[in-house]
Amino acid sequence: MKQLLVLKHLVFIALVILLFCNIFVFLQSIKLGDQINKYEKEINRLHQENLVLENNVYEVDSLQYASSMAASLNFTQKAEPTFLDELKYARNQ
Amino acid sequence: MIKPKLLFILFLLFYTIIVVKLFYLQVFQTSSTEVTYLKTNKIPPERGKIYDRNGEPLAVNNTTYLLYIEPKLIKNKDEAKYKLDSLLHIGDATLEAKFDETKDWMPVQGKLDKEQKQKILSLGLKGIGFEDEYQRYYPEGSLSAHLLGFVGKDTGGEDVGYFGIEGFYDKELVGLPGVMKTDRDIFGKPILIGTQQKLDPINGRDLYLTIDSSIQEFVKKKLIAALETYKAKEGCVIVTNPNTLEILALTCLPDFAAEHYYEFTEDFFRNPAISNLYEPGSTFKPLIMSAALEEKKIKPDDFYNESGPIGVTGYTIRTWNNKYEGKISMTHILEKSSNVGMVYVGQRLGNDKIFSYLEKYGFGKDTGIDLQGEATGYLKPKNSWYPIDFATVTFGQGIAVTPIQMVQAFSSLINGGKLLEPYIVKKVVFQQEEKIIEPTVKRTVISKKTSDIIKKMLLSTVEKGEVKWLIPKGYKIAGKTGTAQIPIEGHYDPSKTVASFIGFAPVTNPKFLALVVLREPKTSPWGSETAAPLFFEIAKELLVYYNIAPE
Repeated sequence: MKQLLVLKHLVFIALVILLFCNIFVFLQSIKLGDQINKYEKEINRLHQENLVLENNVYEVDSLQYASSMAASLNFTQKAEPTFLDELKYARNQ
Repeated sequence: MIKPKLLFILFLLFYTIIVVKLFYLQVFQTSSTEVTYLKTNKIPPERGKIYDRNGEPLAVNNTTYLLYIEPKLIKNKDEAKYKLDSLLHIGDATLEAKFDETKDWMPVQGKLDKEQKQKILSLGLKGIGFEDEYQRYYPEGSLSAHLLGFVGKDTGGEDVGYFGIEGFYDKELVGLPGVMKTDRDIFGKPILIGTQQKLDPINGRDLYLTIDSSIQEFVKKKLIAALETYKAKEGCVIVTNPNTLEILALTCLPDFAAEHYYEFTEDFFRNPAISNLYEPGSTFKPLIMSAALEEKKIKPDDFYNESGPIGVTGYTIRTWNNKYEGKISMTHILEKSSNVGMVYVGQRLGNDKIFSYLEKYGFGKDTGIDLQGEATGYLKPKNSWYPIDFATVTFGQGIAVTPIQMVQAFSSLINGGKLLEPYIVKKVVFQQEEKIIEPTVKRTVISKKTSDIIKKMLLSTVEKGEVKWLIPKGYKIAGKTGTAQIPIEGHYDPSKTVASFIGFAPVTNPKFLALVVLREPKTSPWGSETAAPLFFEIAKELLVYYNIAPE
């Protein structure tokens, strides 16, 4: 009888432990789900931000932007090389 | 004994409730559980980027958002419609059609920016969502609109490239979409023990073009100015490396804004450099002259007696100014652009050889350039040619070619005789792999010796021609003007011409070849007074850009 009582107590304790384990695993899975969700959003956000920054860099690096900046700063002088008549003298130097 | 029993009963009751609920959900409400819990999202791939030869971006991607609704989940539809319309101004009727309760998912509007997305989210509506999508962004604006083409939608609403590079390389650029299948709880968070499948998208391949955006930029600026100066209807400039036939710049006007392609009609999308046919006029003469030289039917210092107009089966052929100089050399035929002299050269060459060389130069067939929308040109079958056709073709009339065919054929004259395939994409990059595209030689048309002779003749054409241009001192630039009347209803209209110039430099080892075509210039009909000055302005810039030393 005593052995049966001990066994019943053990089963009861095991059930309680299992119950708490179940609750723990359940809570952990929710937490992990939250984290996955958070990282998914963060990766997406970083990707978007990266694209925006990349495009901003491309824009300020573009010839169109340089041309508009040059116009707004009044840098309108063009490269006008001097072409020499007597090239042999230029080559001698 | 009571406590374990009670606990056991409680567990049993608890699990029975769960089992009953699961049975109800899985047997009686299968569709609702799938919709609510199993989420399948398509992950769009990023379209391949397009760069110029120096790695400067020409077409990249920007993220936009697609607003969608789940009509079955929206309770107060009138309120939702009113709120969405107040922000998006789509219109009642359109929105009404979107709120179709027989559908689980309906797209409402795409291409929304981040700010618009935030505003819609702040409305706090249930049953709406956003999907990321990519939109093309062009850092250089419409600099290369005809070259690049644009990205539109197909009938299924999917992105697809049209015209130019976007159209030709659509399969390379598009990539493969990924799929995300996950069980999510009612808050949208992943359920770990449920379905979790993710197939990553494969982004499109990046393309590196042969185009140099610096050259493209100044060529386009000069073309815009020239169209205004000469009051021409259309204009095209192609700059290429004649030794490889890599296209360094290709621009035609009027063009369109690739980002707002939907504001333009289809006529603007056609790239005249590859799709429009024109009669090349006198720029064609060096091709026939080279053929005659190659066949040893003439020599550069042979003489022809230019005594007056000549008749061919009832038609009279004159020089452009109706002036005749008596004995002139073959080189002088090109210098003064004598039509009657070219008819003589054609007669020496013979009709069979003329036709055979037209085929060898690639006329009547597409060049194979990697741009969507190339026309093949028109070379009628040999048995349909009349004697007058063989006479007029020697000075570039009665044959319709595309500017790119002209560039291809002319390059073969100055690169030692190799007929090459023109190309725009230099390199395809996929992840860590690179595929370099090499020049393709189709065949040899003329020998190196003939090539050297014709280069000298073309140099003489520029230096001793009847019009003097502003050639940078110390440099040798060779080329040929062309003026062709436009055929209208079976007749040539003398007031409407296609003025052109094709030239190259340096003469001994050409670094670039450029073709300028101006359609219907109003200030002067002649190529020598419109297209040629534009060519020399471009050539001057190119000599400085490439740091080419005087010869």
